[in-house]
Amino acid sequence: MTILEVRDLTKRFGGLVAVAGVHLHVQAGELLGLFGPNGAGKTTLFNLIAGSLKPDRGEVVFNGQTITHLPPHLRARKGIGRTFQVVQVFGELTVLENVLVALAHPALTRWLPLGRYDPPGRRQRAMEVLEKVGLADRASELARNLPLGLLKRLEVARSLALRPKLLLLDEPLGGLNLRESEQLLEVLLGLRGQITMVLVEHNVRMALPVCDRAVAMDAGRIIAEGRPEEVRRNPRVVEAYLGEGGDA
Amino acid sequence: MDWTTLSALVVDGLAVGSIYALTAFGLTLVYGLLRVLHVAHAGVYAMGAYAGWLAFSAGGGLALALLAGAACAVGVGLFLERWFYRPLQGRPPLVPLIGSIGLFLAMGDLLRILFGPYQQGFPVLPPERVAGPITLPQLAVVGATAFLFLLVYGVVTRTPLGVGWKAIAQDAEMAAAVGIPLPRYTQAAFALASALAGAAGVFVGVYYNQIYPTMGAVPAYKALAVVVLGGLGSSWGTVVAGLLLGVVEAVAVAFLGTRFPPEGVAFVAMILVLLFRPQGLLATEPQG
Amino acid sequence: MYAVTVLTQLCIYAILTLSLNLVTGLAGQVSLGHAAFFGLGAYTVGVLTTRGFPFLTAWLLAAVVAAGWGLLLGSISLRLREDFLAIASIAFNFVVVAALLYLPYFGGAYGISGIPKPMGSVAFSVLVLATTLGVAWCHERLRRSDLGLAWMSLRESEAAAEALGVDVRRFKVTAFVLGTGLAGVAGGLYAAYIGVIRPEDFGFPLSVTLLAMVAVGGMGTMWGPLAGAFLLGGFAQAFAFVHNYQLVLYGLLLAVVMRYRPQGLLGRRPT
Repeated sequence: MTILEVRDLTKRFGGLVAVAGVHLHVQAGELLGLFGPNGAGKTTLFNLIAGSLKPDRGEVVFNGQTITHLPPHLRARKGIGRTFQVVQVFGELTVLENVLVALAHPALTRWLPLGRYDPPGRRQRAMEVLEKVGLADRASELARNLPLGLLKRLEVARSLALRPKLLLLDEPLGGLNLRESEQLLEVLLGLRGQITMVLVEHNVRMALPVCDRAVAMDAGRIIAEGRPEEVRRNPRVVEAYLGEGGDA
Repeated sequence: MDWTTLSALVVDGLAVGSIYALTAFGLTLVYGLLRVLHVAHAGVYAMGAYAGWLAFSAGGGLALALLAGAACAVGVGLFLERWFYRPLQGRPPLVPLIGSIGLFLAMGDLLRILFGPYQQGFPVLPPERVAGPITLPQLAVVGATAFLFLLVYGVVTRTPLGVGWKAIAQDAEMAAAVGIPLPRYTQAAFALASALAGAAGVFVGVYYNQIYPTMGAVPAYKALAVVVLGGLGSSWGTVVAGLLLGVVEAVAVAFLGTRFPPEGVAFVAMILVLLFRPQGLLATEPQG
Repeated sequence: MYAVTVLTQLCIYAILTLSLNLVTGLAGQVSLGHAAFFGLGAYTVGVLTTRGFPFLTAWLLAAVVAAGWGLLLGSISLRLREDFLAIASIAFNFVVVAALLYLPYFGGAYGISGIPKPMGSVAFSVLVLATTLGVAWCHERLRRSDLGLAWMSLRESEAAAEALGVDVRRFKVTAFVLGTGLAGVAGGLYAAYIGVIRPEDFGFPLSVTLLAMVAVGGMGTMWGPLAGAFLLGGFAQAFAFVHNYQLVLYGLLLAVVMRYRPQGLLGRRPT
């Protein structure tokens, strides 16, 4: 079942065409990897799906609904979660409170949501999510004090608390060392099958093997699509990466 | 209104506008790098004015006064960068803003304690006509400002500083990643901004033949307006905006008389720009 | 009696700093024009009660008027980049003061005098204290509520808050409306208490002072702004003996606290 569909999506920045008429399907439950050299347009495509950018042409359809012009917070409520390339945690809040923000959202539809933000039921659910990513023991620490590896996991936890049907991950391995990368990938693998995930990643070596399917982009277009190994060996893909110094 | 009166107003406006431009340029430059409104800049300006005045009182001429003013300003500016702004990077912008306001208040009051609350005369240049309606102080201020900005232009375009500053303003993380030493470039920016502000302070003293401890207050407000008009991302935009504001103010005051306060022009302009063109009249908006 | 005067004054500062804390401390919107809303509230009561309206009605309207203008500023803030908001709020403050100064309806530079106190001095001071406690209660309720959490999330990262379903735009405006409304409440009390109000009482310097109180005391908490109000509000009294050095000490206090304890004296957990 197709959970996300992108049709003829185009985005220009001045004279530069970042994304050129892209078509993409994402199947429910799969882990899709979006790869490509710098400037390929993968981050732009990602932002168009997440809602932080509006396309010049084309459509984004999620679960059968056209969400092309829906603002990010409404996409989140429809079940799309996302993490950020440059980590955007709520620094002055505790790890637990970071997750509680995600759990506040049914109440936030009211004009004056005055109920306490940490009733026992919600705390419980927040702790469960934190356990899933292995952060339960750091729950009462201020987010700003955590190292990058843990912050990435916190972002995942936050999005998970939304009970999303689709999780978008923007360069989750960026800035992480080998051990941290492995730990994060472990968390993602643990979610496989339960949630549909799309990840944009530069670290092809580590990320490609965990994907069910891969898509490669270059100069705003999709140049290859299919099983990870096939995409990796695709000559057009190799050429695109060699053009920037070789990364596959 | 006849040509002579109008041209006299325009020249006056250019002189005052030059001073706005000198102060606002540095403010925009620092903002681009730190994303903080360096309110204490107005205090640096006032201290520069007093340093220049001291040099003049000790027997120096205009050139020496300018040198002393700029040097003192640079010293104070670099100290502030090192002791105050650098350790506070990464904090919410409100923090350095409040501290900067505190520093501004303290500097002004310090000048009052040291030199008394009354104005001091600064008669370096006699206000005589030199060419048509143009007086000597006007010529000196506009001429020296033009020269200074020429120097700045040279620095910005000929040295790696200009490119570096632009890169940092666009994306500080990326700039650091490609090897630009942020602390040194920030220091250079503070040095340049403060030197210009110190010079501006001396010019004001010379132009109006007076300096006083709270003289920083007016340029503090005006510089904000100029920065908004020119666009927070564009240093050269603020230069143009400063000159423009000076001229518009001079002409507007002449036409509207005493019923409309001259500060009003700056504020009305600022509000109009904020409402209809928030990125400034000539901004090159750095993409966040 | 002097003690009561000082206490009443501190209470008014307390309401003002708590109300500003909603906008700036919790929601992170830097407002350098809060004094304007204080003034709008004060003038509403001043104008209405000197024309015979009962105090309670005028007081209620003071909150509504202030909140209404707060709604405007909040809506404008949505269109501006964050840094421009500070500048816009300064401009707003100046415009309000200028309007109060130049529109003859408001008494010009002489302001409004002879504002009647609706009850005896002592009773009124009790009212002020009671209001302060009420505002503090509201503040705590808000801080621990979903709305408060939403505010803090958008303060820390608007993008992340949105990605978690928070309607950033709506809650920003809500912060302004509630914060400025409470400032209007303080203004109404102030006008009746002091009897004479002038435009210059509500200018930019007061806005700066209020913001400094919040920053120095500790943003985001309740005790922080109260401590700030107490410390800086009582500064003039406490430092009366160094009358000549008050301003430089005050400025240095702001600079030093921000430099060495940026989260404020009672701010939330140091790093």
